Amino acid sequence: MNVALDALLASSALWRAHGGTEAADPAGRACLPTGWPKLDAKLPGGGWPLGTLIEFLLPGTGIGELSLLLPALARLAAAAPAAGHCWLVWIAPPHAPYPPAFAQHGIHAERLLFVTAGRTPDRLWAIEQALRSGSCAAVFGWLDAADDRWLRRLKLAAATGQALAVLFRPLRRRAAASPASLRLVLEPTPAGLDLWLLKSRGRGPIRVHDAFGP
Amino acid sequence: MRHAARRGAGALLVQGRTGDLFAPPPAPAPVGVPEPRGSPVQLWLALWLARLPLVVVPSGAGGLRAVVADDGPRRVLVACNDAALALGLTAGLQLNAARVLAPALEVAERDARLEARHMERLACWALRFTPLVSLEPPAGLLLEVQGSLRLFGGLQPLLALAAAELAARGDRAALAVAPTPRAALWLARAAPGTAVESPARLAGTLARLPLAATHWPARALEDCVRLGVATLGELRRLPRDGLARRFGPALLAELDEAYGQRPAPRRRHVASERFEERIELPAELETAAALAPHCARLLERLERFLRVRDAGVGALAFTLLHREHRPSCVRLGRALPAADAAQWRGLLDERLGRLLLPAPVRALLLRSGAAVPVAATSAVLPGCAVRESEAAACALLDRLRARLGDEAVSGTRLVPEHRPEAAFRRVRPEPAPGTLAAALPLAPRPLWLLAVPEPLDLDDGRPCSDGALQLESGPERIESGWWDGAGIARDYYVARSARGARLWVFRPRSGERHWFLHGVFG
Repeated sequence: MNVALDALLASSALWRAHGGTEAADPAGRACLPTGWPKLDAKLPGGGWPLGTLIEFLLPGTGIGELSLLLPALARLAAAAPAAGHCWLVWIAPPHAPYPPAFAQHGIHAERLLFVTAGRTPDRLWAIEQALRSGSCAAVFGWLDAADDRWLRRLKLAAATGQALAVLFRPLRRRAAASPASLRLVLEPTPAGLDLWLLKSRGRGPIRVHDAFGP
Repeated sequence: MRHAARRGAGALLVQGRTGDLFAPPPAPAPVGVPEPRGSPVQLWLALWLARLPLVVVPSGAGGLRAVVADDGPRRVLVACNDAALALGLTAGLQLNAARVLAPALEVAERDARLEARHMERLACWALRFTPLVSLEPPAGLLLEVQGSLRLFGGLQPLLALAAAELAARGDRAALAVAPTPRAALWLARAAPGTAVESPARLAGTLARLPLAATHWPARALEDCVRLGVATLGELRRLPRDGLARRFGPALLAELDEAYGQRPAPRRRHVASERFEERIELPAELETAAALAPHCARLLERLERFLRVRDAGVGALAFTLLHREHRPSCVRLGRALPAADAAQWRGLLDERLGRLLLPAPVRALLLRSGAAVPVAATSAVLPGCAVRESEAAACALLDRLRARLGDEAVSGTRLVPEHRPEAAFRRVRPEPAPGTLAAALPLAPRPLWLLAVPEPLDLDDGRPCSDGALQLESGPERIESGWWDGAGIARDYYVARSARGARLWVFRPRSGERHWFLHGVFG
């Protein structure tokens, strides 16, 4: 093989629109398999990118957004004890996540941390603190309108750690600019859940039909 | 001596074992510790403050004063002053009866918290006589003075000094000395001023004590009266097995402890150290931001204070003293006790940023909670990386709480319980090792649970939410909780809505058989 080409491909300065299938996306970030084969195949790193922002755009609560994250969350929870304590942080969720259901999937109730914050500035601040603290394996935040500069700040904060950082925003924010590395629209259908990958490293919108299906 | 008292937090004093004070405290083993042979005899000085409830409550102008407390449904006197005693009032008398005897009686409510604080201050004072001081709630204090006799020139000078200092403090305490702590306490209550130095004379002195000195439950004392027993000596002459059957083993154990036939280990009182410092500001400051550097100065002094003691604190209170306005207070808390000024400052900045000053500030006062020993950590040693990550996890909690408030941050624990809404509880979060509950429900549970079940509309007898619901699985019958008044009897189903959402719905088994939405599988 061409050594020079290999060195070039290995360089993190090179941006590749269609990355390989190893557990790192083209920007060199670690990725966590989503647990849904159809989705993994379409994502650049073969999974959720860690240490950056992921944005879910939802038409409503309870359409399968947590089920989508559940396998990854279970994987994080299983890996956590070796690395000391890490929180799975929920900032301003619309309802109460139900701990026994998480325990059924192997996620310890002791790891869940709920933060209630009514005002948007407080929510943004809490998300940033959680991302920067380095003690969180996953940070989930619910936001509506948010300043683009604040979102950039959150992305920088996410880059300081290795957390799975997901922002949940209403579908009407689809047109708003966002620095998130991965943006998904969730679309419930009678059969299951369809996904639109709006923004994922240089590719146009991709549709994942029936993400939970075989 | 003071040093020894500080080091051995929670140590137990075991009879006759005063030699190994500097040894690490053994695990509490309150009974059955053998007495080493040839050990020096202990000598316990007991202080009993019969008037404690009266001393700690603010006094009024009246001549007849008493403190009352609830005793079941009745209100009884727990202490009264000399003038009231002269009228025939005593502790234990019902308030109604006392009012008849002395209509002018001024009554105050008992304050147990103030009493405990008073005794703690007294225990700190007692540390000047011996490092072995033990609290006997509610109003007793025990000092092991055998080791201090040489220093004070004998027992009589020590007692005289203690009495004089107590009088100077304004405390009226009954004093007694005996070779065992319990005997000293009983003597202080019933025969103040008695000093028994040799164990040989102990039994004879105790035998004359009335049973009331023991403060045993009223029923046991009444039973003794019915048996014709009035003193400890008479009680000891009764057969032991009969006593144990009648009154239970606990009273017999106390009796043996008093006579020195059974070891009576005591928990040592350890004086807690607190940081308290006040600074006057060079000028009156009007904004919270201008206060920050002065607070930082105090925090640095706190850090130095704690560093030399290898200690940390979990709570701080800044008091801002204003001109012509009552002081305002800023309280800070940490999940792990810590000393570092930088982190405390981070928390303080969150609070100062949103603080509105009611008036200009002229002085600052910083008070800490009790200093507790903190183990130093090193990243190199095994196990410390985990502790570091725990510290980071706690630091996040501290920051979130400082800005959003204590109740805004919560963790959760599972509760083994069939009722879905009672199967978990909110707790104050702290890093804890994860444990999976052994008994999890087998049927699926929704990821989102509604705080209050939502009634569903009915369409042709079938539940609907954005269109008719298809029942996918069920019923799962949950019927539980009849014992605490919040019982449920419901049939749960998993339903799918027309839009594809999976819902957790139920129908009560009795009453109006409406459908309710309880959770979303999300």
